[in-house]
Order: sequence, then C-alpha cells, then structure tokens
Amino acid sequence: MIRAELIQRRRDFTLDVAFESAGPVLGVFGHSGSGKTTLLHALAGLTRSERARVHVKGEVLSERPGGVSLAPERRGLALVPQEPLLFPHLSIRENLTFARGAAREFAGEHGAKVLDVLRLRDLLDREPETLSGGEKQRVSLGRAWLSRPRMLLLDKPAASLDADLAREVVALLMHAKRELDVPMVFVTHRPSELIALADDCIVLEAGRIVAQGAPLEVLSKPKALGLARLVGIDNLMELAVVRHDAEAGLTLLDLGGGAELATPLCEVRAGATTSVGLYAEDIILCRELPGATSARNNLAGVVVAVDPIGHEVLVTLSVGRIELQARVTPGAARELGLEVGQPAFALIKTTACHHLH
Amino acid sequence: MWTPEETQVVFLALRVALTVVAVALLPGLGVAWVLARWESRWSLLLRGVVMLPLVLPPVVTGYVLLRLFGRRSALGELWFAVTGNHIAYTTAACVLAAAVVGFPLLVESMRLSLAAVDPRLEAVSRTLGRGPWATFRSVTLPLAWPGVVAGAVLAFARALGEFGATIVLAGNIEGETRQIPVAVYTLLNQPGSTAAVTRLTLVSVALSLAALLAAAWFGGRRQRRFAG
Repeated sequence: MIRAELIQRRRDFTLDVAFESAGPVLGVFGHSGSGKTTLLHALAGLTRSERARVHVKGEVLSERPGGVSLAPERRGLALVPQEPLLFPHLSIRENLTFARGAAREFAGEHGAKVLDVLRLRDLLDREPETLSGGEKQRVSLGRAWLSRPRMLLLDKPAASLDADLAREVVALLMHAKRELDVPMVFVTHRPSELIALADDCIVLEAGRIVAQGAPLEVLSKPKALGLARLVGIDNLMELAVVRHDAEAGLTLLDLGGGAELATPLCEVRAGATTSVGLYAEDIILCRELPGATSARNNLAGVVVAVDPIGHEVLVTLSVGRIELQARVTPGAARELGLEVGQPAFALIKTTACHHLH
Repeated sequence: MWTPEETQVVFLALRVALTVVAVALLPGLGVAWVLARWESRWSLLLRGVVMLPLVLPPVVTGYVLLRLFGRRSALGELWFAVTGNHIAYTTAACVLAAAVVGFPLLVESMRLSLAAVDPRLEAVSRTLGRGPWATFRSVTLPLAWPGVVAGAVLAFARALGEFGATIVLAGNIEGETRQIPVAVYTLLNQPGSTAAVTRLTLVSVALSLAALLAAAWFGGRRQRRFAG
C-alpha cells in the first residue's frame, strides 16, 4: 500500500524514516515530539524533504532527489488534522463539497454512504461555529473522504476530544474502515486506538523508527512498554501468573492478598511475571456487587484517593498489594459517594487487560 | 454658491482616488501576501521599502517620484514611449503620487488580515486537491476579505487627502491636477473665498468620514459568504 523513505533535516530535529506497509491501516505511534505529525506533512508534500521517496498503491508521488515530487494537491493524500479545522466561512455542506470533485461525489452513492456512516445529514445546513468538537471532527473526516483520496492521513483525530467522544470517533473510524475501503496512515499516542484500528504500525522516537509490526506485537515489546508509560496507560502492573484456564480463555494473575486478575490467555508460564496494561476508563466502580455480569473481575478494594482532574475524577482503589486507578465522571463519583476509606468493587472485563509482556 | 469649478475639483478627486484603488489593489495584495507568508531577510527589506512613504515627508516622496519619472530618467522615458506624454503635471501624476503614498496603508491592512489566516487551513485545502491559486481564492482571500476591503478604503481616503507629493509631482492645474486639498490651499490665498473653502472643507470631511466608516464597517464585519 505504501512505501516511503523520508529524510528531513531541521535545525533542532531530524526525521529519518524508511518503511513499507501493506496496510490498509498503518498506525504511527509515539509520544509528542517524536515526529509523527512531521512524518504526515512530509508524506503529504506540505514540507520540503532532503530525501522523499513516497509510493502509494503503486503510484510514485515523490522520488526526491532526482525525480518527481507531486504538489500536495496532486497526491490524493487527504489530511485530517488533530483539530478539525473546518473552513469557518463555509457552511457544513460547502465544507464537505470543498475538495476537487467532491460535489459530484457528494451527490453520488459514495457520498450517501459517507453521510450515513459519519451521521452528517442533520448537520449539512449548519455553520461550523455551531458544531461541537465531535461533530466538527466527523465533518472533517467526511470532507477528507469525499475528496476520494488514495489514502487518508489522520493526525490524532481523537486527541482533542474528551474520552467519550474520542471513543466515538475511533468507533466511526473502525466502521468507516470496513465500509469505505480507503487506506489510512493513522497517527496516535493512544495504544487502545492503535490496537483498535491499525493493521500494522511503526513506533517513532526522536524522528526514527524504533519498532514496526502488528500493533499488539509492537506494543508488547519492552521499548514500547516504556513508551506506553509515557503516553498514559494508567495502570501498568508486573504480576505473577497463578495459572492458565485454556477452556475459559483466561490467565489468572496474582494481585496479592488472595485477589486474582483474570486476563486473556497468554503464554507466560505459571510462576513467571508478566506486564499488564489497563486503562483507567475501562474500570467500572460500584459500591455493591451486581448480579451475574460478563466482567470476569469483581475485585474488592478500598478507596485511597479521589482526585478531580478537569471534567473527570481519578479514583485510586487499593486491591491486594496493588493500586488501581479508575476514571469516572464527577456525577458518578457523587452518586456512588466515593470517599477515601470506603470499600468499593472494581469491575473489569478480561479483554480490557492488555498483556505487554 | 456652488461653482462648476468646485464640482470639477470634487469629481477629479473621486476619479483619482478610485483609480488609485483600482491600480494599487492587486499589486498591494501580492506584496501583502509575500510579506505575510514569507519570512526572510528580504521580506524585511521589502517591508521597509513599502513602508517608506508612510514615514517620509510627502513632499520628499513627491520629489523622489519626480526624479524617478522625470524627463531624463529611464522610467520617465518608458512612460513617454508608452503614452506619448511626460507624466509630470498630469492626472496620471496625481494617481501615481497618491498611490505611492497610500500603498503602505493598503499593504499593511491586507498583510495583517492575511497573516491572521491559519496556514493549516491552506494546507488542508491543498491536500484536498485544491492548488495554490484555488486555495488562495477560496480560503485565504475570503477569510482575509474584511482587511482587504479596509485596506482599499484606507488607500481611497488617503488619496482624497493627498497634498505634499501631489503638489510636487502634479502641480496645481485646474481640471487636470487640482483636487480638494490643493484647491483649498489655493483658495486660502485668495481674499473673499471663505465660503468656497468652507464648502470644500465640508465635502472633504464628509467623504473622509464616509470612507473611515466604510473601513470600520468592513473591518468589523465577519465576511460570511464570498462570491466565486
């Protein structure tokens, strides 16, 4: 799908990468400042590179030095920036039909599909400034898709949105990936998005590729584990394997104090330790145990901290010999009466526990 | 009462000011775009040259233009070859003087509004298949439009009030180069013309005020739609 070699030297930063990927979705992972956006802009031809060989779907977009270098408008690589950046002087309909040839697309079958998948029909006659962040991002995606690009360049499309909207955008992207059949290069700093969307991924650090492969495989490398800590998997734990239950598809890990964490079946032998990552938003807190649920983990613990952070509340729960951080809304924290010293249960789906080895 | 000469003065002034805007608009937009988007030592130098008439005494600007476009200069000969006339003491000289003096105001207003357009919007436009010119026309210009209009209005108003450079380059020829400020100055030296001076002064105030109000209106108004 894409083959690229890029060298871009700036006074304080050098991007030097070479990669090849069959896609259809190539994830670009790394913390801020690692060169992810620089890479996208270089692919799009928006910045000058000392060396730029870019081949997409067999087409030569750039062959520098020595060869052609198509202008951005001729590359067919539509950019979806982190902030939606709608054209403020145009209505939503005009934004969507902005791209070359998009008016025709808009009226056709493909356009109808884009409008449905991204749920844009009700927004058409609105003005950009009246839209919420999530709506704007949907329009930005639709605008890019309606340009019939060879490939989409997505620059952290969910990063400026709060957790719920970010998840919604990722869900839309997954839906769109199935429905609309456009390859993508997808930049993110969230491992969950990488796992959800990318078929293949590269990890950038200081302008260089430090790992490439399938997302889960790449994320499980020690190097990426350090990276994950930097970019916010909230709960990272080194835990000993108690036993495997192949029939139930579980590997049980020791939390101390008799508590166990059920995780997806892994290959680490019993007695050895393994790394597990768990997002704070994937933990459900409750005061009393509900009836039967699909969550394999109902862990009893004690609240040791309640920290309001922006529009969210970070609750720290002591379970066994570890502490789990859970993210809830202020409303939920109030309703549950979560206070330091109170007992609470953590409900965790097995699949929310990511093995990082 | 109102005399035909005064009508002539006012209409000549309006004609010159409108011509100034028509002639300076596109070059001004081009220079403003270069200054807003290119950062280098050269753009700093260009900015200095463009801004010079704003700080030079207008009479000096007029003298510089007289030397540049005079009979024995290369530009003067070029002008003669094209039009068959010498530029000094013609209506064209009025336009030239007012255009040069008003150019910094025009450029600065346009530069500020062009610089305020988010370059990332232009980048997105390019990746959506719109070339540099189409992007300028459909993204940059509409968003900078209030400043572009305000710049044109300022140049128009400045042309109406131009005196120093005009008197040196174009002189004071009735029906040819005598506009409102020069006419007022001339009348002030003639006894018994207080009423005429007052009339021209009122017209001048009214036109300038109208231009400034128009500038404020366009500057404050967010351009929602843009034809083309």
